[in-house]
Amino acid sequence: MKIRIEFSKLDGVKYISHLELMDTIRRGLRRANFPVSYSKGYNPHIQLSLGQPLAVGMVGMAEYFDLDLEKKIEIDKFISGLNQSLPPSICINKARYVPDDVKSLQAVVNTAVYLIKMDFKKNIDEERTLNGFVNFPEIRVVRRRRNKKDRIYDLKPMLYNASVRDDNIWEFTVSTGSSGNVRPSEIIKALSERYDEINEVPLVNVIREEMLVKKGNKFYKPFDDSIVRS
Amino acid sequence: MKVKEKIENLLYKVSNPERYIGNEWNQIKKDWESHRIKMALAFPDVYEIGMSHLGLRLIYQLINEEEDMICERCFAPWFDLEELMREKNYSLYALESGREIKDFDVFAFTLQYEMSYTAILNMLDLAEIPIMAEERDESYPLIIGGGATVYNPEPLAPFFDLFYIGEAEVGLIDLLRKYKILKKESRSRSKILEELSEIPGVYVPSFFQPVYNNGQFTGIKKVRGNKETVNRQIVKNLDKSFYPVEMIVPYKDIVHNRAYLEIARGCTHGCRFCAAGMSYRPVRERSKENLVELADEILQSTGYEEISLTSLSTADHSEIEELVKILAERYQQKNISISLPSLRVDEFSVELAREVQRVRKTGLTFAPEAGTQRLRDVINKGVKEENLYTAVRAAFNAGWHRIKLYFMIGLPTETEADLAGIVNMAKKVLKIGKDIRKNTDKKMKPIEVQVSVGTFVPKAFTPFQWVRMNDKMEIEKKQDYLRRNLRGRGLKFSWNDPELSLIEGLIARGDRRLASVIKEVWKQGSRFDGWSQHFKAKRWFEALEDKGYDLNDYLRERDYIEKLPWQHINMGIDLEFLQKECEKAYKRELTEDCRQGKCHGCNICFNFDVDLVLAGKEEGIIHEN
Repeated sequence: MKIRIEFSKLDGVKYISHLELMDTIRRGLRRANFPVSYSKGYNPHIQLSLGQPLAVGMVGMAEYFDLDLEKKIEIDKFISGLNQSLPPSICINKARYVPDDVKSLQAVVNTAVYLIKMDFKKNIDEERTLNGFVNFPEIRVVRRRRNKKDRIYDLKPMLYNASVRDDNIWEFTVSTGSSGNVRPSEIIKALSERYDEINEVPLVNVIREEMLVKKGNKFYKPFDDSIVRS
Repeated sequence: MKVKEKIENLLYKVSNPERYIGNEWNQIKKDWESHRIKMALAFPDVYEIGMSHLGLRLIYQLINEEEDMICERCFAPWFDLEELMREKNYSLYALESGREIKDFDVFAFTLQYEMSYTAILNMLDLAEIPIMAEERDESYPLIIGGGATVYNPEPLAPFFDLFYIGEAEVGLIDLLRKYKILKKESRSRSKILEELSEIPGVYVPSFFQPVYNNGQFTGIKKVRGNKETVNRQIVKNLDKSFYPVEMIVPYKDIVHNRAYLEIARGCTHGCRFCAAGMSYRPVRERSKENLVELADEILQSTGYEEISLTSLSTADHSEIEELVKILAERYQQKNISISLPSLRVDEFSVELAREVQRVRKTGLTFAPEAGTQRLRDVINKGVKEENLYTAVRAAFNAGWHRIKLYFMIGLPTETEADLAGIVNMAKKVLKIGKDIRKNTDKKMKPIEVQVSVGTFVPKAFTPFQWVRMNDKMEIEKKQDYLRRNLRGRGLKFSWNDPELSLIEGLIARGDRRLASVIKEVWKQGSRFDGWSQHFKAKRWFEALEDKGYDLNDYLRERDYIEKLPWQHINMGIDLEFLQKECEKAYKRELTEDCRQGKCHGCNICFNFDVDLVLAGKEEGIIHEN
């Protein structure tokens, strides 16, 4: 029995790593005494399947994981039971049962929505600046890679949408995952390199608000029937 | 003032930011109400080491059980965060409330190893508290210390207001409550210390004054208060004593990331080099009924997937076989594993380990400590060579492929034959493993024997507190010999930095004068001396020279009639017993474990009205005196 869970990784745990987050959720599931399935083999552990890891320092409002259960539990009981067994900064928002052969989150999630709290040297026309940015024919950025040489790539085709959400809060919808991944730090870098009045900001200024599935020109939540049942 | 909120958004600049955020599962965050006495509990090392220490977790919950008390945690910030804090002028803070240490009534340090002492000074300084006790008035938190190395508190004496000698469960709460009343009455720091010094186990170092003659320590003089000596405080019945069940579950993968269950306290094997074996007497075991109940509660509360049955010698517990069987059966379904640290060198221990390690067979550790029967007799390590071979044979047959052997060099009376003995034993173990692997039809990884060789450091309140420690040349020569001879496929040799051991030896038997050396070394920039990559021996040697002290004088042999800097601390063990044990060592005479029934006259039970408590047994020990 597979269940898909949407949760938030809030401010209090923004500095814990992906692996630490997984262990925390596993221990929460144990404390909640849920009938979870364990992996087979030498070192049985609770199998969690998360989406694209969230960078250390960032808050995530709608993160997801899939989990196998031995027995069905009522959704409401699952949500409230797990929330009582997790630190308050990890908040279970929603859950739904999905078919056992559902495509993994890693395989379907290909889009992320980031909110960046901007920092300007002086007052600027935010709409106009952002408009100018997205209308560049090409947005070349440097990708830093661990133990490998830097690489230059064009961010533009992977930038689906950008808008000013609020005063100095900018929203970016970009490609994420194995078929092309835009890092928020690269968006910030690209902006500050092109506009003198924009300061570079650290990752703690970024929130991953959504993780979505892009099909053609449409975006769906990983909970959507059309994603779960396809 | 709350610092944590301000610092939190800068933590992306430092390594391992999750060390500094708190808010873990089971953290206790109480309202900052004025009627509550507030204690910040510090471990002078980084989070993942401090949180792996059972004593810290125990005290944390013990104090927080009290409605009128708050206990919060504080760890040493790593170099990068320290730099940031100093640059921004942020004071050291506690994890729970995020408040400055200065806001607390008490700042308590757990003393676990000598090499953490520079970190204590650094934490005081980061908390904007003067490091010297004499420079602090009642507006500063009371600085207190306790723990495994408190039994020779002298090198730290000028930095602390008081030390608590012994087990915290006995008197720490009384101490805090009394302090709260005195503080409310607006007494002076000096008056407060006078009152607190009346509490059993409380040692106020400024009430004692060491005397030196011709540069030699010749005794310590009481200058204030009513106590000539300070008695170690001991929990009489561990089974009825407090145990922390709702343990904090760190986010970070700490050094020992599992639930702990302290099954017993104390060890009476009587190894003559071992400080813990002398300073945690007598043995007190918890009953298996209580332990099973505690295990259930801890695992339910934490969600941990592993539980460790801790004590100084786990296999000694009178009911260990049944306990392990019950727990293994109970938790197999829940995929919870059981770990047994500190096993003895015998087949029984391997059987136990086999019982719990149904999965994931990696390594087993044995500690024969010395390479020949002669030297093992000298140190009273009741292990025969054949015990080791039987044990490893059982281990290899059960599927373990990696054996770690722990030895010491520099023990009294050691000769080259003893070093050769280490090499022989290691090679023999390797051969036993290889033969078993050749003849088995089971799949087995290549045999690996890791030989870890530490350097013997004489410690206070052990029978070897009088013996000379090896010097640098001797240690290096011995390590060279082992390096040359412990070679070949399947053999791995590891050793300690000789200079680090020497400094540990310096402080372990040091007197109050060394405080100025520790202070100087800290001023030169030392913080994490226990981390070999950050240990700078040169600073220590220079500081010693600068202050006019001789390392060799601290490492030399002491005469029985000499006064020792820690003699005003009463461990409850007779000095005559330690001396007799030291003499027996040189005669190769063994002293058997008193749990077998025969008393050997350490006199702890008489001196402090305590008893050996063995689970499931009515009678403890028959005293002959």
